[in-house]
Amino acid sequence: MKRLAALMLSALVALPAIAKDQLHLYNWNNYIAPETVKRFEEFCKCQVVQTYYSDNEEMLAKLAAGAKGYDVIVPTGNAVQALIRGNRLQPLDRAQLPNIKNVDPVFLDTKFDPGNKFSVPYAMSTTIIGYNDEKMKELGLPTDTWAVIFDPKHLEKVKRRVTVLDSPNELFAAALIYLGYSANDTDEKHWKEAADLIRKAKPYWAAFNASSYIKELTVGNIWLVHGYSNDIFQANLDAQAAGRKFRIVQGMPKEGAVLAVDSMVIPKDAPRADLAHKFINFMLDGKNSAELTNLIGSGNPNMDAARYIKPELKALPAVFPPKDVQARLVQLQDLTAAQRRLRSRMWTEIKAR
Amino acid sequence: MHKRAPAWLGKWLVSGPPLLYLVVFFAVPSLIMVLASFRTPGEFGGLAPLVDESGAVDLTLDSYTRLLSEPLYAEIFVKSFWYALVTTVVCLVLAYPLATLIAKSERRHRDLLLLLVILPFWSNFLIRVYAWMIILGPNAALARAVNGVLALFGHEPVPLLFSAFAVLVCLVYVHLPFMVLPLYANLEKHDQSLLDAAQDLGASAWQRFWRITFPLSLPGVYAGSALVFIPAFGIFAIPDILGGPDDSLIGNVIKQQFLETRDWPFGSVLSLVLTVLALALAGLAAWIGQRGVGRLASGDA
Repeated sequence: MKRLAALMLSALVALPAIAKDQLHLYNWNNYIAPETVKRFEEFCKCQVVQTYYSDNEEMLAKLAAGAKGYDVIVPTGNAVQALIRGNRLQPLDRAQLPNIKNVDPVFLDTKFDPGNKFSVPYAMSTTIIGYNDEKMKELGLPTDTWAVIFDPKHLEKVKRRVTVLDSPNELFAAALIYLGYSANDTDEKHWKEAADLIRKAKPYWAAFNASSYIKELTVGNIWLVHGYSNDIFQANLDAQAAGRKFRIVQGMPKEGAVLAVDSMVIPKDAPRADLAHKFINFMLDGKNSAELTNLIGSGNPNMDAARYIKPELKALPAVFPPKDVQARLVQLQDLTAAQRRLRSRMWTEIKAR
Repeated sequence: MHKRAPAWLGKWLVSGPPLLYLVVFFAVPSLIMVLASFRTPGEFGGLAPLVDESGAVDLTLDSYTRLLSEPLYAEIFVKSFWYALVTTVVCLVLAYPLATLIAKSERRHRDLLLLLVILPFWSNFLIRVYAWMIILGPNAALARAVNGVLALFGHEPVPLLFSAFAVLVCLVYVHLPFMVLPLYANLEKHDQSLLDAAQDLGASAWQRFWRITFPLSLPGVYAGSALVFIPAFGIFAIPDILGGPDDSLIGNVIKQQFLETRDWPFGSVLSLVLTVLALALAGLAAWIGQRGVGRLASGDA
């Protein structure tokens, strides 16, 4: 009895010691392999506490409302830009990040963070077309062009079997690219053309959907989507696991597509910047970085990761874009407040009328 | 001699804390929104600084003039009003017989029946909404049966999922218990001898319902309607998950202002208008309820 009491007492004493070394990671859902977390915890002798978000805006809204205590966040390019300009990040100490040499220089020194003072690439995805191969073949529809999402001539054949992302930024980008403009075009006239294009295609779409289209593709309710490469990869894994006859395939539009590079950043008020640097350097190691790609089919900006990645994944252009595809990928810039208002007005009109 | 605390003190000690809790946590967020509604959105989210470098104070009516100058937002309020109204009416029509049945059933069965009404609350709201995706899916039995019947009449198949129908079905499903419970609480207290007397005086079943039971149940009807209408008016999750491309409601537009658009001031304005409309409607319902009861008491019902 006495021994038990002593044990409990020592546990109580030890508790704060365990609680002290914690890395608070604010991350996307399912965006790090569990075995990677485990190995990092062993390496740093600390505990990784994860909090999740499902889109950048949710994360930005939470930070803007005063959420604190995160050591590492993994925002997409335009959100990195918003955080830097909002003066919310602390500069990275390069001396503590020797593994940065593994990152493909193509993804460094971008407009979002010149010289990578605040951010290092973690993983990426593209916003592309996903489709049910059996149905598309049966209907004789092209799968390498945004026309299949926007042109009523094609849409007639897949009426109400199509979903597009419930995201004004992504959908306007795809429409602008299809119309031959840059995804980052901010000319109001071009936005109106894009809105018209969307409005004419809308009656053929089943829904604006950003959450359940993976499942709808998997069960065969939806045959064609405008969606994220990782999600489409996941839909195919699920379809195969469920023994479906069809496959869910990624289609890279020839007109180009949006590339989202998610980067690791350290907030200004991070309680443990030391652990944060350790974590970032750890994740820049090829093997650790590859584990995420093998798990969710994310694109990988890490040159050292290639040798650990499953060969069937390496062949996917959405995961490892070849040079010619890379040239057609665009990262979205953050919009100004006035531009966001205008886009919101157009989006509300599209969705409500 | 030992002095007893006055009765009013006891009453306030007991009812004060919950009252304070409700008032504070309604008033404070509303006040924050009132303040935010007169500001400009920050370039990177949040609000622009109250006083900028040049010393100009950031106070503006922009968000209000925008709401008034663009009929789009009024249209969406009207559309959301109709969705909420249809939900309330359908809930009332479905809940009334059920509440009556429970109120008239034997006492030992009542608890079980009430338990069944609140049973859905045992699982998460979102899971119940997602369940409707499966029930209404194009390959599910329901859609096949409906479209099978439609095909007999030479009608094209209709989608059930991702439609206004799906949104309304789910709105009714989620809110039905909020109508049943207050109706039951009211109906259970009715005095059977009133109906017996009416029958003795020759009133038909319909007359007994329409001239006695229904007027007496009005407070329950108003309470249930308010509990259904108000949350249904501002909902965003159900149209997000089950709605088609046209089923965006005011709740979705407000959510969009706080997330994608990072426009807190305009989101606050829309949200305040929603709050004021909901309060006004609840006030109206309460007023009509009072009048109805008053009229009843004065005997000219």
